[in-house]
Amino acid sequence: MSSGSTNHDAARDDARLADFASTDGAVPEETLQFIADVRARVGQIVVGQDVVVERLLIALFTGGHVLLQGVPGIAKTLLASTLSHAIDLEFARVQFTIDLLPSDILGSEVLDQSTNRFRIDKGPIFTNLLLADEINRAAPKVQGALLEAMQERKVTIGKETFKLPTPFLVIATQNPVEQAGTFDLPEAQLDRFMLCHRLDYPKPDEEKEVLRRNMKLGVRREDRGAIARTEFDMITDEPVGSTDQLVSAMEAVHGVHVSETFLDHVIALVAQTREHPALELGASPRAGIALLKSARARALIHGRDYVVPEDLFALAEDVILHRIRLNYEALADGRTGPGVLEEMLREIGTAAKKARLV
Amino acid sequence: MATLPRASLVTVWIVVGVAMALSYRTASAASLAETPSTTVGVSGRIEQVKLPGSELEAKPIDETSPIVLRIAGSFPHGTDWRYDLVYYGLEPGTYDLTGWLQRKDGSPTEDLPPIEVEVTSVLPPGQIEPNPLESVETPNLGGYETLLTVLAVLWSLGFLTILIVRRPRSDVVTMTVQPRTLADRLRPLVERAIAGDLPEGRTAELERALIAYWRKRLGIETMPASEAIARLHAHEEAGALLRALERWLHRPGGDPDVDVARLLAPYQDVPENALESKAT
Repeated sequence: MSSGSTNHDAARDDARLADFASTDGAVPEETLQFIADVRARVGQIVVGQDVVVERLLIALFTGGHVLLQGVPGIAKTLLASTLSHAIDLEFARVQFTIDLLPSDILGSEVLDQSTNRFRIDKGPIFTNLLLADEINRAAPKVQGALLEAMQERKVTIGKETFKLPTPFLVIATQNPVEQAGTFDLPEAQLDRFMLCHRLDYPKPDEEKEVLRRNMKLGVRREDRGAIARTEFDMITDEPVGSTDQLVSAMEAVHGVHVSETFLDHVIALVAQTREHPALELGASPRAGIALLKSARARALIHGRDYVVPEDLFALAEDVILHRIRLNYEALADGRTGPGVLEEMLREIGTAAKKARLV
Repeated sequence: MATLPRASLVTVWIVVGVAMALSYRTASAASLAETPSTTVGVSGRIEQVKLPGSELEAKPIDETSPIVLRIAGSFPHGTDWRYDLVYYGLEPGTYDLTGWLQRKDGSPTEDLPPIEVEVTSVLPPGQIEPNPLESVETPNLGGYETLLTVLAVLWSLGFLTILIVRRPRSDVVTMTVQPRTLADRLRPLVERAIAGDLPEGRTAELERALIAYWRKRLGIETMPASEAIARLHAHEEAGALLRALERWLHRPGGDPDVDVARLLAPYQDVPENALESKAT
């Protein structure tokens, strides 16, 4: 299977590889090796996933959560499953539907008839990596329950409160088409996702590789019959990285240097979203924090112990775009969120502050 | 039985006749003298009233008439006519119904005997009556169509005003607080950086201006920022500049090997026409 990305191209790959080459040893070798091994393991199963894996690692290293927007069949589940197996993480998947209840995710109290006592039956949220598939198909109360747990990292069932396992990462998916019977996540809840990455179909050469690999899968004998093997059968249970290595990487992120200059870049961009005439809702302070955190993690993944403007430009779409809302006039003029964001990224470099005189 | 003499019988007969005639007149006079009485709004009926002269009819009345009279039936009675009259009163009082009659041939009705009726009120005396309705003429503005036309014109003017006011005016002057062109803005930043007195808060501005400068110079302004920055890094001259800037501005402690004056010297005197678009 394969996954592509709209904001990913060869030039950026080259730049990323150049970054790896320019590593000056400030980032622990073990961490770099861990990252490289994980990416290589995922690459064995999923084709053309570099940017998505990078975003997932960023979320994993910073304790954020990721919302993936993409059409069905572009390996979102496979990617999450592969990643969890690569780092020895527990993985659970919940398919969100209209009749899903909060207790189906969080868990509930059930009466144990053998003891005549209530016992806690923990839900699938008690895992390291939770794939919330098509989160917008569930009713708002279910979305709210999940997002609250994501924020607080604890769950209350009955009268007891339980901490969620660490690390805890939610990868939620949304289908950008087929909106009938869905409940759009409001901006306040979207804000809780550190990153929102938009996936696209794989490029032709990547898709060709997907087909080649699929042809080689063959069948698997089971009981007295056989079933066709899928990409999921290729996932090995042998992790390439341990939880300790993951924790080391998380600590290393906090060691990444952020200059005052970079902070000024972040402030300028966030402020721009609040002043832009086409926007009704600008980015929250949480957006600035998310931008900073994710930039540090990206710098680490690229082998740097300091952030650079490239991190900001590369992550702006995933961090900012789902946190802003166009106003009526902009929508009436046919403007789009990505277009306005690009305009802002251009303007923070070129434009002086504008003053309107009538 | 003894028979009466013929003269006595005639006399008795005449006396009886006179008595009957007198009793009739007395009865008629008594019936006329008894004034019919009704209450306001309740109809009364007087039947078989013989009135002398040619045929009568009810006069047309207006809305102020206290009596409404209708002739329910008229019958020839020799040279006279008998009538069935139906009436009702709208105001309490005693009225002569002949005042509401006229002859069909237009001859006078002065010879008609009075037909008095009484209309009484069931309301107690001193009843407060509501104020009478008064019809007031509306001011004439030229008619309903004119009024509608004026309103339509006013509404259209208001609508146009809203459209014009909300639309960004073409004569709005956009003024930059800082120098207008990117070259103008870049120059003082570069000069201060070379002189070593660029405040820390403005280094980000310098870096963004240099990125913008190269995006313009390479004609990749419209390219997505993430792709453009990668393209700049791949460019020999721009990439060297950006990497040096990163080492100078973003590395922990800065890179002492970066010669800022030498690095920024090419951007000290950037001609304005080198950058076509203006950073307004």
